[in-house]
Amino acid sequence: MTEPEAGRQDGQPEPQGDHQNTRPDAVRRRLFLAGGAAAAIVSVRPALAQSAASVLNCQIPVPDPARAGMHVAPDGSIVAAGTEGAFPGSGRAFTGEEVKSALRQGQLLPGTSQEQNRAYLNYIRRLQGGTSGFTCYASLQMPR
Amino acid sequence: MTHDPARYGVDGSGTIVTRPLDGLTLIYHRPSGITHIADSPLPEILQALERAPGTAAEVLTRLSEGHEIGDDEDALEGLETHLATLVSLGLVRIAR
Repeated sequence: MTEPEAGRQDGQPEPQGDHQNTRPDAVRRRLFLAGGAAAAIVSVRPALAQSAASVLNCQIPVPDPARAGMHVAPDGSIVAAGTEGAFPGSGRAFTGEEVKSALRQGQLLPGTSQEQNRAYLNYIRRLQGGTSGFTCYASLQMPR
Repeated sequence: MTHDPARYGVDGSGTIVTRPLDGLTLIYHRPSGITHIADSPLPEILQALERAPGTAAEVLTRLSEGHEIGDDEDALEGLETHLATLVSLGLVRIAR
């Protein structure tokens, strides 16, 4: 028995890129710009933002496990171990609460020196989606 | 003193991922991790800005290339309102 094939059924390859709804041959259609009413848009924030408790306890490893063993440069970039001026990883992940205190009240992350703290916070500020700790950090930014 | 109109833009390519969904568009903004569910004309405006930054008038010109746009003055005013919405959501920035 064969599984039905996922995706398009017409034998065409999946369109590439992020605008799959864009077709050059699409019928020229009317775009309603005027009218005054705001266009409908609903924003879905990362799930952790829904729960204060989760934000306090979520974890941000420095660096993320995929790059364990690498060092953190003062600007927050991840560099090879042994790079001059860079710091080794934190050993344990910081909690959302610890990072929040460091970002908002200027407290040092536990077990870090002033410069190390700055490098780690720069790393955390540069976290992008898909990196471990990103959702935790993004949740700290959310207005409640 | 001249008053230049605001120029709008989106961050580098790949910052925004869009997918159509039942007539609406899902817009994932990577830097914030927020997903927006948007109705027309917001996705079209974002798409026009992804080509290059521009003023509201320039964006309107780009949109009119592929769409029927009504009265120009009303359309420009509406477009500016939508751009302000996108700026407030962090999807568009003002690039002077």
